[in-house]
Amino acid sequence: MQYRFKTSEEALTFGAEPVEENRLKVATGEKTLDVRYAVIADHHVHCVVEGVGINAFITGEKGEKTILIRGVPYLVQDADMTVQSRKGARDLKTLPREITPPMPSVVVRIMVAEGDPVQQGDGVIVLTAMKMETTLTAPFPGRVAGINVSVGEKVMPGKILVNIEKEPEDTKPT
Amino acid sequence: MFKKILIANRGEIARRVMYTCREMGVATVAVYSDVDRNAVHVLEADQAVLLGDAEPAASYLNIDKIIAAAKETGAEAIHPGYGFLAENADFAERCEREGLTFIGPPASVIRELGDKTVARQTMIKNGVPVIPGMTHPESDPEAIAREADRLGYPVLIKAAAGGGGKGMRVVQAQPEIREACLSAASEAASAFGSGSIYLEKYLARPRHIEFQILADRYGTIVHLLERECSIQRRHQKIIEETPSPAMTPELRERMGMAAVAAARASGYVNAGTVEFLLDTDGSFYFLEVNTRLQVEHPITEMVTGLDIVRHQLLIAAGEPLTLVQEEIRGRGHAIECRIYAEDPEQGFYPSPGRITCLKEPSGPGIRNDCGVYAGFQVPVEYDPILSKLIAHAESREAAIERMIQALSSYVILGIRTAIPFLIDVLRSEAFVAGETFTDFVTAHFADWKPERSDTDLARIAYIIDDLAGRRKATVSSAGAGVPLSPWQSLGNWRR
Repeated sequence: MQYRFKTSEEALTFGAEPVEENRLKVATGEKTLDVRYAVIADHHVHCVVEGVGINAFITGEKGEKTILIRGVPYLVQDADMTVQSRKGARDLKTLPREITPPMPSVVVRIMVAEGDPVQQGDGVIVLTAMKMETTLTAPFPGRVAGINVSVGEKVMPGKILVNIEKEPEDTKPT
Repeated sequence: MFKKILIANRGEIARRVMYTCREMGVATVAVYSDVDRNAVHVLEADQAVLLGDAEPAASYLNIDKIIAAAKETGAEAIHPGYGFLAENADFAERCEREGLTFIGPPASVIRELGDKTVARQTMIKNGVPVIPGMTHPESDPEAIAREADRLGYPVLIKAAAGGGGKGMRVVQAQPEIREACLSAASEAASAFGSGSIYLEKYLARPRHIEFQILADRYGTIVHLLERECSIQRRHQKIIEETPSPAMTPELRERMGMAAVAAARASGYVNAGTVEFLLDTDGSFYFLEVNTRLQVEHPITEMVTGLDIVRHQLLIAAGEPLTLVQEEIRGRGHAIECRIYAEDPEQGFYPSPGRITCLKEPSGPGIRNDCGVYAGFQVPVEYDPILSKLIAHAESREAAIERMIQALSSYVILGIRTAIPFLIDVLRSEAFVAGETFTDFVTAHFADWKPERSDTDLARIAYIIDDLAGRRKATVSSAGAGVPLSPWQSLGNWRR
């Protein structure tokens, strides 16, 4: 059986071959590992990799799971199952182009008005979530084209709170 | 002693108060909001009363409803925990008026100390050193800007009405001060119901050192040694320890005396905490008095062997303190890590959601004050603290190692926590060397990402989980040994 995992570069292929009950031979591309394992509970597997025992705790859906090992979470994504569904969300996270809350929040203050020019990094809107205030900033220089929310409004991730029109780069004064 | 008390709080602290109540034979009443119907403090109380909507103003901050709940259930006293109404003088006063005992200091003391500027005046009058700054609150950003010019930048804007980093802003230079004033005032208003703020000179590299005090109604005041809480993010403590690596017996003596003097000056009764900043040159300044049980009180309990909540109840019931200062000794070293629902890789942004799996650490010297369980939905409405993990060992070195092991075996899935961050902080050279100042996180861990050395293992675990999931799917469709009823096996025969 083959698994293709997402990485920051090219997808990485792992081969898993059952040897006997609860025992696998896993080919990581670099080496082949002997893995014995036991499923302890719903979210808990114990595996012995090349003789070294380790507990792993797993949550998530098919295709994208978070694995906790020694206190550190690892996001493991199956490249064949997550391509379309997750791509948009990832890009948004790494390169915020729009002003949208990272989690359910309440609008505290709007720092700009329609038509205002903004520089990259300028504070645009202040949100509160779990009693902490956070200021969302302009992702690029431009002009405020529209404000879609009002103070006191509850907002969800994905909702564009303020539209910013990118300043055309090669406009010449007329 | 009281027969029954109401706990006007939620989560781990409500549960922690209940532990002691049960040991003392005191019945407990929990209060809760809509989203906390199945919260741990509701499940473990003898009785529980629904207050209302999730919104704090309709539930945990609603004085009328809480008083009514106490009356209805016949509770004689109210323990406020920390946060919410814990430092609300109006609430304490209302309790007094309604014939309920407020487990904390008298309303007048809360009011005086709760206003940080009034507290500063009291301390100056009584010879306790304070940080240079304003002794009156101000709402006009222009006036604050003028004062900042006089003090010299950087300055610190603080909420006059409360602590916990809410309404607090460091301002490095003049152009930032107006927006900082506005945002600090609005955060303070939503957290404490009062938007008044003031200014202090910002000390660049202090340590945060506080003394736990206990005071009875008859003028006996003792301190239960210090706690160092310098490791903070967003001005909120995340790691606390006792004793402080910076402490000498001589400094402890002087600071302890100042703490007791501060308590005496304010007429303090019950458990409280006197906070100081210790500057690099060894001088210390009064910061504020927290007139409540502190989040980090367990480390003091671990080294002194005393149950602070028990003493709170005894004092509130009118018992005299039997503790003697000379007999209060710390044994070993204790560290606490606060476990919040937050993502350390996204600027510690809160990470609410459903906990899918929870496995608490255990072992010698480990205590976990936990307010959640697997399956619990961490609400967005409240402070995202999940639990407090405490490690106690014979030396600082051993306590650090014990804490790292406990954190590494702590499993919380479904939401993010700062556990991997805390592990790296505890492992860092600076922490191990005791070089803990309040700028620690920004100085050493500004762009922190966990070292992910077990990626291949994680992928192997993914494969195993995937295979196990497939097998389970096959097994359950085959019935797992349970005979199928005709209704199941016939399927959609009617169509």
